[in-house]
Amino acid sequence: MHCNRRGFMKLSGAALTCLSLGQLGNALTPVKAYAAGLKIDGAKEVLTVCPFCSVSCHIVAYVKNGKLVSSEGDPDYPINQGALCAKGAAMLTMTTNEHRLHKPLYRAPYSEQWEEKSWDWVIERIARRVKETRDKDFLETNAKGHRVNRLDSMFLLGTSHADNEECALFHQAMKGLGVVHMDHQARI
Amino acid sequence: MTNHWIDIKNADAILIMGSNAAEHHPISFKWVLDAKDKGAVVMHVDPKFSRTSARSDFHVPLRSGTDIAFLGGMINHIVQNKLYFREYVAKYTNAAFILGKDYSFKNGLFSGYDPATRSYDRSKWAFEKDANGVPKRDESLTDPRCVFQQLAKHYSRYTLDKVSATTGVPEDQLLRVYKAFGATGRPDKAGTVMYALGWTQHTVGVQNIRSAGIIQLLLGNIGIAGGGINALRGEPNVQGSTDHTLLYHIVPGYMAQPHDGWQTLAEYNKANTPVSKDPESANWWQNKPKYFVSLLKAWYGDNGTPENGFGYDYLPKIEKGGDYSYLFLFDRMYRGAVRGGFIMGLNPMQSVPNSNKVRKALDNLEWLVTSELHNSETTDNWRRPGHDPKKVKTEVFLLPSAHRLEKEGSVTNSGRWHLWHYAAVKPGGEAQPFGWMIVKILNRVRELYAKEGGVYPDPVTKLDWPDHYDAEEVAKKVNGYFTKDTTVGKKLYKAGQQVPSFTALKDDGSTVSLNWLYAGGFTEEDGNKSKRRDASQTPLQAAIGLYPNWSWCWPVNRRILYNRASVDVNGKPWNPAKTVIAWDGAKWIGDVPDGGWPPLATGKGRHPFIMSKDGFGQLFGPGRLDGPFSEHYEPVETPVAKNLFSRQLNSPCYKFVASDMDLLSKPATPKFPIVLTTYCVTEHWCGGGETRNVPNLLEAEPQLYVEMSHELAEEKGIKNGDGVIVSSIRGEVQAIAMVTVRMRPLKVHGRIIHEIGMPFCFGWTTPGCGDSTNRLTPSVGDPNTTIPEFKACLVNIRKAEKLTELSM
Amino acid sequence: MPKSFLIDTSRCTACRGCQIACKEWHGLPANKTKQYGWGSHQNPQDLNPNNYKLVRFTERLDENGVVRWNFFPDQCRHCVEPPCKDMADTVVEGAILHDKETGAVLYTDKTRLLSEDDFASVRDACPYNIPRRDPETGLVSKCTMCNDRVHAGMLPACVKSCPTGAMNFGERDEMLTLANRRLAKVRKTFPEAMLVDPADVNVIYLIADKPEFFGEYVVAENAPSMGRRQLLAKAGRPFQGLFDHLT
Repeated sequence: MHCNRRGFMKLSGAALTCLSLGQLGNALTPVKAYAAGLKIDGAKEVLTVCPFCSVSCHIVAYVKNGKLVSSEGDPDYPINQGALCAKGAAMLTMTTNEHRLHKPLYRAPYSEQWEEKSWDWVIERIARRVKETRDKDFLETNAKGHRVNRLDSMFLLGTSHADNEECALFHQAMKGLGVVHMDHQARI
Repeated sequence: MTNHWIDIKNADAILIMGSNAAEHHPISFKWVLDAKDKGAVVMHVDPKFSRTSARSDFHVPLRSGTDIAFLGGMINHIVQNKLYFREYVAKYTNAAFILGKDYSFKNGLFSGYDPATRSYDRSKWAFEKDANGVPKRDESLTDPRCVFQQLAKHYSRYTLDKVSATTGVPEDQLLRVYKAFGATGRPDKAGTVMYALGWTQHTVGVQNIRSAGIIQLLLGNIGIAGGGINALRGEPNVQGSTDHTLLYHIVPGYMAQPHDGWQTLAEYNKANTPVSKDPESANWWQNKPKYFVSLLKAWYGDNGTPENGFGYDYLPKIEKGGDYSYLFLFDRMYRGAVRGGFIMGLNPMQSVPNSNKVRKALDNLEWLVTSELHNSETTDNWRRPGHDPKKVKTEVFLLPSAHRLEKEGSVTNSGRWHLWHYAAVKPGGEAQPFGWMIVKILNRVRELYAKEGGVYPDPVTKLDWPDHYDAEEVAKKVNGYFTKDTTVGKKLYKAGQQVPSFTALKDDGSTVSLNWLYAGGFTEEDGNKSKRRDASQTPLQAAIGLYPNWSWCWPVNRRILYNRASVDVNGKPWNPAKTVIAWDGAKWIGDVPDGGWPPLATGKGRHPFIMSKDGFGQLFGPGRLDGPFSEHYEPVETPVAKNLFSRQLNSPCYKFVASDMDLLSKPATPKFPIVLTTYCVTEHWCGGGETRNVPNLLEAEPQLYVEMSHELAEEKGIKNGDGVIVSSIRGEVQAIAMVTVRMRPLKVHGRIIHEIGMPFCFGWTTPGCGDSTNRLTPSVGDPNTTIPEFKACLVNIRKAEKLTELSM
Repeated sequence: MPKSFLIDTSRCTACRGCQIACKEWHGLPANKTKQYGWGSHQNPQDLNPNNYKLVRFTERLDENGVVRWNFFPDQCRHCVEPPCKDMADTVVEGAILHDKETGAVLYTDKTRLLSEDDFASVRDACPYNIPRRDPETGLVSKCTMCNDRVHAGMLPACVKSCPTGAMNFGERDEMLTLANRRLAKVRKTFPEAMLVDPADVNVIYLIADKPEFFGEYVVAENAPSMGRRQLLAKAGRPFQGLFDHLT
């Protein structure tokens, strides 16, 4: 069975036409929905990669009016050939999930709650804390008198969720700041 | 992976050990079953009968932490029964090398051990060299001091009875695996090893893998189609994040992190650039200074000059021998020595051992920046159950991160394929990519330093750093470009143009590359090759499922590493039906060969293992910190009081941290007689912080369970579905009993030992599902990697009167 | 000729891609599930209005002491002559439709008009215990064969997601050929392997162990090859609801 991107298959005869309401009697939904077409009709197809294990299955995201409406395995990627496991198959609700964080949050010392903040506010505040820490604790030479340019009191953990380009920048940023406590999922 | 996912289909024998591939890399089973359809034998060796076992030809349960005993027995079987691929072993591995006089092995210890520092002087494991400084070799493999004879002697101690008594595997089951896998020592047969965290998460993790490496070299299974040592890498982009290195001990491209003993670039290069006197050794790492300087130039741009070592002088240097990994970071945090930091897309309050300690340690921070898709046990640690937020001083930031579908960039799969993904939709709410965040934050820090000054601002202010995050621009820089007009071959490249390959990189500052391994992936000629979607193949490539034009893979689009070992010295494939490369008299065809030199027999060739200094596969591996051969040691927490192979009970070099919360159970303690192993589940990802918040996935795996045998359940009066409490010396965890025939009591040292298994994906921020399993596990790690021993510790189990962490 | 599925359970790894893909395509909400008092990977515990597809897990130690862990991705069999439709037709015409072109048996919005007892009869008419009723809306639902996708030339969502070739879909004759070929191969290792009711259903299961080791309603009680009337009669459960309507 040949599949193209959307996983079309050969249908015999003129089967590609949708069922008409006549064929299906006077039924309402879900039959009506078939006549109205697929939820992905007219959707833009965008290629992405599953964010879980390193098989890196390819996924086709179906986008309508800027909204994700469906996602399926990419049949052309020679490794997964359209298939997905439970996690990969859940990409639609994983992305559109209302439980997700939508705004930068801040928890003040000793506070019992999160408060919403603007990006400008949190970036300013974080930059300030980074600089304060670096200025306080930067170690130029160690006990042996060796030049070490190090900031032992600060760290970066994560993340393999990041893209290659993001990892490269994180590493560079930490080198610049003198951070050597750097670790992530690769050591778990 | 030395090979790649599709290549699994070329195997005649598949040993899945230290991995539960069907559950954790489900799509891999497309290729495992493809091999099985063609007659391959699929074996699963694992404490638990899992979905992988269900689709394998057979399953062999073994006790957690005894893989080296199991594999040592296989090495012995292969040697004793002469199943090894003699020509391959003699010519391509260091079997023929002669060991120096200082090498010895006694009472479970190799020569050079210093108990005070718990470390080895590895100079005692050197090879004998001839007058030219080239290692002496005896291709007859008969010299009693040759590696092969020493290997035979070392593993002759791994007799079936001792292996069986240690692992809990009956002798006939051992032989079943040994014979099936040993049969791939023929030139026309291939065996592959699929492993994952089941091997790495031990205090002997690296040596588990070394054991498999030895087996694969003995059988001639490295470099060939359907062979290899295949680490099934885990997290979303853990191959890429390792290559681009969010780790303390290396810099991008697998080069050492500078330490205080290497004060200058010259000192670094001298210490890190291997020298071989053998003209037939490619000794690829002799090029390291070119890659390292190109990296420094990428970091510091025009500010990296010969005078400051191209920016080397700015870099932080760790203490020589210092460990800055999780275990030690959290220990320092626990002691109050850490002020603040970033935890991005990671949930260590779930996924680092001894959660009770690390959760407490996090309270000691003054500030913490987190970034996630959802609130997690880490972001919200300050309000964890039973803890008063009003006592936590930490200022916490929680930055909403974009999902994979909401940003573009590249990831690298386990087969080293470099894969571009596109942004399908805009990030939800105000979420942003991690790259956007770090660029913004660092730019603000740089502005503050520029405006206000501060302590030694140069390392920060002189970085070559982008104004805004653009994945494609970074990808170009990862490949690298020329900083001045340069001719490569007959072609002139202008300053600013992309380098065509890492062979064009220089150590004089005239090239820039954020990662030499990726050089060649984004070129002037072909653009961003991670976007390629061309499935075309030659018939030779099609025969083994090689897709050279689909995306691109590092290094230099070589799909199977060490592929020069797949041919004889004349360049003829050992198995022409599954040709990886072949010499057609003038050039190599098939895959991209490991270096373009002609075959060895021409006299102009190179030994096939080009990344090792001498060019040979390392049966004897003097580079590892804990021994040149693997040796069975019990897990740090072990249910037995002695090691049947030596007087050395545990690894003599394993890493640990010591605090009032880092308690360890004594060997064979009756208080905690049961072995616990921990794992992931198909439906959740690692600590579960993302997937628990996807209702469809939580529906499929809703609550923390403990898989246990019917025999143990009966002994403890526990029924399937009961609430139970699992305890170790470090903590207690509530779970639901899953009583199953899939866990079996094991006969070890003549008595029954029970093992139980638990996932670690459930946490308190998802109500009623349970909380961190890692409250049970110890902070001990492998000497080479400091990967913690999640896979074996001691616990006990009892029926719970009532449950507070799980809804009933 | 209608379409058919071949579900070769000897290749299923229970990755549950199909179970989730079904929910995602149909936009079905999640159920609140628990391990407590259950202790199995099979979740949810049974088919329900929000799960048209459920991978069942059954385990045992066989007579040779070997663990057998059987996975059964359960769903509507889209019977060649669906008894559920015959039963429903006697009460509410059009509650259940049969798309002769694809073979899909489709439950429509009109199933809401079936009383609880009517529903019980419909369910009892099904030899495989598939239909489920939402107690709040009264809607009866089950697998739709992704009839919308099939008419658009696409594979059903579950089949599309399957990595190992356990789930297959195509012309009925092609699937029967494939089924017999696979069966011959699987029987070399598992002599007891069989196809489940291939003549009567369009969702043909290949099982490599005895049916009772896969679940309760794996085979029709008197399969193979019973006619529709026989099947109805043999379903043999109280036709209470039906008779209420007839009188």
